[in-house]
Amino acid sequence: MARLNFPEEIKSLIDTLKKLPGIGPRGAERIAVWLINQDREFASLLSKVVEDSVQLIGACEICGFFKSHEKGCFSCDDSERDGSVICVVEQPTDVIALEKTGAFKGTYHCLGGKIAPLDNIGPEDLRVSSLISRIEDSDFGEVILGVGSDVEGEATANYLADLIVGKGLKVDITRLAQGLPAGGGLENADELTLYRALDGRRKV
Amino acid sequence: MLTELRISNFRCFESFDCSLESGTTLFVGENAQGKTSILESICVLMRLQSPRSNKVSDQIRFDAEACSIEGILSGKRLLFSAAGPKRRMTVDNESFSKRKDYLAETGLVVWIGNDDIDLVRGSAESRRRYLDFGASQLSAGYLPALRAYTRALRARNFLLKRDANPCWDQIDSYTKLLVQHGTYIAEQRSALISSLVPFAKKLQLDVSGKDELLSLNYVRSGNEDLELAYEEKKEAEAKQRLTLVGPHRDDLELSINSLLASKFASEGQQRTIALSLKIAQSHVLRERKGSNPILLIDDIFGELDSSRRNRLLSSFPEGAQKIITTTSLDWASDGCLEGSRCYSLSKGLLDEM
Repeated sequence: MARLNFPEEIKSLIDTLKKLPGIGPRGAERIAVWLINQDREFASLLSKVVEDSVQLIGACEICGFFKSHEKGCFSCDDSERDGSVICVVEQPTDVIALEKTGAFKGTYHCLGGKIAPLDNIGPEDLRVSSLISRIEDSDFGEVILGVGSDVEGEATANYLADLIVGKGLKVDITRLAQGLPAGGGLENADELTLYRALDGRRKV
Repeated sequence: MLTELRISNFRCFESFDCSLESGTTLFVGENAQGKTSILESICVLMRLQSPRSNKVSDQIRFDAEACSIEGILSGKRLLFSAAGPKRRMTVDNESFSKRKDYLAETGLVVWIGNDDIDLVRGSAESRRRYLDFGASQLSAGYLPALRAYTRALRARNFLLKRDANPCWDQIDSYTKLLVQHGTYIAEQRSALISSLVPFAKKLQLDVSGKDELLSLNYVRSGNEDLELAYEEKKEAEAKQRLTLVGPHRDDLELSINSLLASKFASEGQQRTIALSLKIAQSHVLRERKGSNPILLIDDIFGELDSSRRNRLLSSFPEGAQKIITTTSLDWASDGCLEGSRCYSLSKGLLDEM
């Protein structure tokens, strides 16, 4: 009597799913079994949307945001964007978060991460040189450093600011502000946020 | 003020119930009867951490599954229980999932024990930890700054070690963070030391009963202007592949009558200095926070001569609750323990004396 196990097909499905970020062996098994129990149309739909996204969309070589291979970059090729200001962020998802505010009309640059020596990520692994050549070639009045405010984010901002100044580029460099969450009372803010808010207070 | 304490399956105790005095409560017993475990349980209940071990499982009694500690703190019922890796914290039957929120409901404790002598004899690390603890109680920004500093330091040291030719452009981006956070940390430590000094000086004079002039001096590892300090050490850092200046290398220098305490003070003097520092800390906490910390005093009286002991008893902050363990009451002179409650402890059983 053979010991029962997953069929080979499902095993390879599980092995493939395991490679996805945030999915472990147990999660992969659960998803695989769930997929098998759906009707066939769902599986075809899933494989089609995966295929389409991978075939049609890639990262823009210039700014790092999503780019359609047919229609060009959604960010760079939009002529209505304000070309005098550029916002540097870590990931394309940060662009979408900023876009939701509707407050920023300028162009973006996605680094693809932050400088983190302990995780073995250096400037050469990020879109840093293309950022510099963009600033050299274009007529930006302001570079907004919109990277996160953790230690690595701050270090990345310091690095970029030094690099831009060191190249003698004439451009204003700014950093996103930190402080009170909008529309919230003081009692909801944690100590560090309040401390930063107090530190960065401004004259009215 | 902690008025009731009830523990079950904690360390050597199956179950245990006692009332605590607002002034002094004493637990008297021979070695290995569970005296320190009582203090430990209070420390865990109030601060969710123990000075003896980091593992909760060490604290659960043999062949028991879970332990619990319950106490009434100024009318609020605190309950901490641990089963395996799971912990539960409640205040007046309201359950808290975050340590931080629970800790905001409890009070501060100051642990005074025999190990405190490491403050004087031990490495600078133990003195920095003493300063860090005090400073993080006093300003909300301190702990985040310290964490950020430590993380940036690790990255910077890694960068210094990694390449044959260190890439200074990347290292400098971390240097800026060290300057930013380090300056704040050093300022806060200096401020803490200046508020500790008057208390510690007075305590040293009071407890020793002699002209022992204690001085505390914050010794910086390099130039006080951190930006300049890193500039000055750049070459040495490139050679040694290590961050050589900053708060992580600073020290608190302790001296008695201008002589370095770690080298020239006697055992008794060193113990007195350690006590003065700890009690000074509780005075400063009281001054800034407006409420007294609970003093947990673990068997320190055996090492001091009788006059130092009695003077020590009278130098604790006024109105502070004291919970003291000791092996015998021989040292207590007439009247100095008036109004305090005394328990004798033997094989995990408690008797009021």
